[in-house]
Amino acid sequence: MDWLIDLLPLSYTDSVVFLGAVILGVAAGVLGAFAVLRQRSLVGDALSHATLPGVCVAFIATGAKDASTLAIGAAAAGLVAATMILIIERTDRIRPDAAIGVVLSGFFSLGIVLLTYLANFNNSNQAGLDTYLFGQAAGLLEQDLTVMGLLCLISLAGVALAFRPLKTALFDMAFAGSVGLPTRLLELAMTAMLVIAIVIGVRTVGAILMVAMLVVPTITARQFTSRLSILLVLSGLFGAAVGSIGALISNSGGLPTGPVIVLVGFVFAMTAILLAPGRGVAWRAGKIMRDRRRAATEGVLIDLETALHAGAPPTPEELATVSGRPLRTVKRALTDLDRAGSLRRDGDRVYLSEAGAAAVHTLLDRRDLWTLWLEYGWRLDIPDAREPDPRRLRETLGDDLTDQLLAMASEEQAGS
Amino acid sequence: MSDDLAIILTAGLLGTAAGLLGPFLVLRRQVLLSDAVSHAVLPGIVIVFLLFGSRAPVPVIIGAAVFAVICVLGIEAIRNTGLVHSDAAIGLVFPTLFALGVLGVTEFAEGVHLDLDSTIYGEIAFTPFRTWEVFGVEVVRSLPLLGAVTALNVLLLALFWKEIKVTTFDPSFARVNGISPVVISRCILVAVAITAVTAFESVGAILVVTMLIVPAATSYLLTVRLLPMVLVSVGIGWISAMGGYSFAISMDASIGGSMGMVAAACFVLALLFAPRYGFVTRALVRARRRSAARKPAEAGT
Repeated sequence: MDWLIDLLPLSYTDSVVFLGAVILGVAAGVLGAFAVLRQRSLVGDALSHATLPGVCVAFIATGAKDASTLAIGAAAAGLVAATMILIIERTDRIRPDAAIGVVLSGFFSLGIVLLTYLANFNNSNQAGLDTYLFGQAAGLLEQDLTVMGLLCLISLAGVALAFRPLKTALFDMAFAGSVGLPTRLLELAMTAMLVIAIVIGVRTVGAILMVAMLVVPTITARQFTSRLSILLVLSGLFGAAVGSIGALISNSGGLPTGPVIVLVGFVFAMTAILLAPGRGVAWRAGKIMRDRRRAATEGVLIDLETALHAGAPPTPEELATVSGRPLRTVKRALTDLDRAGSLRRDGDRVYLSEAGAAAVHTLLDRRDLWTLWLEYGWRLDIPDAREPDPRRLRETLGDDLTDQLLAMASEEQAGS
Repeated sequence: MSDDLAIILTAGLLGTAAGLLGPFLVLRRQVLLSDAVSHAVLPGIVIVFLLFGSRAPVPVIIGAAVFAVICVLGIEAIRNTGLVHSDAAIGLVFPTLFALGVLGVTEFAEGVHLDLDSTIYGEIAFTPFRTWEVFGVEVVRSLPLLGAVTALNVLLLALFWKEIKVTTFDPSFARVNGISPVVISRCILVAVAITAVTAFESVGAILVVTMLIVPAATSYLLTVRLLPMVLVSVGIGWISAMGGYSFAISMDASIGGSMGMVAAACFVLALLFAPRYGFVTRALVRARRRSAARKPAEAGT
């Protein structure tokens, strides 16, 4: 770890905190994904609270306060708590959320009792155990980093080695069982991964904020990909980014590390939820607006063509009256058409340019083709389960099938 | 009033106030939302403290209630995008609000009367020392406060019992009959937030969350009807208060933590021995049925 710390252009303590935050981000990102995707992220909340009694018991049993002893205690308590959640859920009466809540409060109460019990011994050595509640990044030591880094590497290697069975179990436990995978073992492995992520992170950000670290990278990454392998990589990267940016901001502002990291994470997650291409809230709203506008423009184009057949070139006002659209929509559509070069203007009146006439014809052909598809489409022998797109029927059906459709229609009309 | 009595009464009142609401959280699967809400009120407390420079109960409760509503609305807004599951939405929103609160405390209020320990992990052992003068009589402050909250919760349940019941068990039927499940659900969560924040300064967050969740879950294992479930839940709250206090005195440990442990112990007992749903009871019933099934078969051979 020495060379890494020397490599960073930060003071010694700041570098330790920075590296700790990065390791935490990667671990929480990759390992947390297996809880978040199973919709069990709040198990992480319960388990991070449950590490407290484990740490106390480890301290009572060994009297040692080094990172690895306490980590073992925390991990053991986390596993016990996870098992208890599963057992309680098996009653069928208590639902998962209540099981998580009960285990959370039970273990945390036990932890508080043990903490005060320890404090009564006036054992000054116990001071610092309660940093497990709120986390204290500044208290990280170089040896903590080594433990965290090793745990992180081992568990990442485990994920890489068991990727396929884990993926199967993650998305379809019943199927995994039916093809002979050890489902109990895989479920245990996923829980153990969650515990490891928590043990790595809880010292830095604290029990209450830990759940955000588990959730943020996965939901950020999920907005950009639908493949698990890519998601895990992205999630690890986002986790590292959140951790490092948070650590840097808290360093420069002299703010507590845990809360700053969580706030940075919130910004990451919300940005992804709002702006992610193809999925984000703003992106979808924009697409709906563009689609609506295009539909209105096409409608006005056809109205204009109809009006031109009926008589003299109309003014926008006349067009609005004839088509029954609001004048504003018509004007905006005309501006769009003008920009596309489909319009000629004669004072107030508008008529179609050559390009505009061509555009109307393709549009009308497309509509006719869609009508034919609705009428005769069922007779076509399509080799797969394609669902044609009304706007791009020829492209989705392919030239062969479209020609068949046209031939069928003309035959039918000739027959009648 | 002796200190012992004050502490037990405070915890018992909390057990009553929380025990009245808890069953509905369990039945509506909103247990973790209550946990989230009780953490998310922290920035409300901090902002009120920064604005008014006081921790007077009424503004603090209002500030906290505002943030409870923000938390619930935020979680719903994120879930309604359809991009994030509700558990992840909870896990995203409440730590963020809590982080804001922690930042506020450490930046602006450190060293003043508002530190994390007293806001979130308020120690019930100190309640007897915080007193109010009422008509010349010295009263432990937490008692009238928690008493008022308990009365509020009783009133809420008494006035809207039918509405709360129907929206809990059959929201679509309720909506058809003109009772909005959303409004009722918000009311319950605001009541949870008010209970939580009132209790915070006297007993601490862990005990509040525990008292909301554990007695109700225990009671759910023991009962099948709603009214008994609520009453048993309140009863378990009182048992935890008294049992926890004597345990804490004998072990010289945290009183709030001990009360939580007693509540958890009640849950474990119910999990094992509840007449209908307990593991041991069900195993016994199964064994008896099996032997009963075997006997006529043996008699036949």
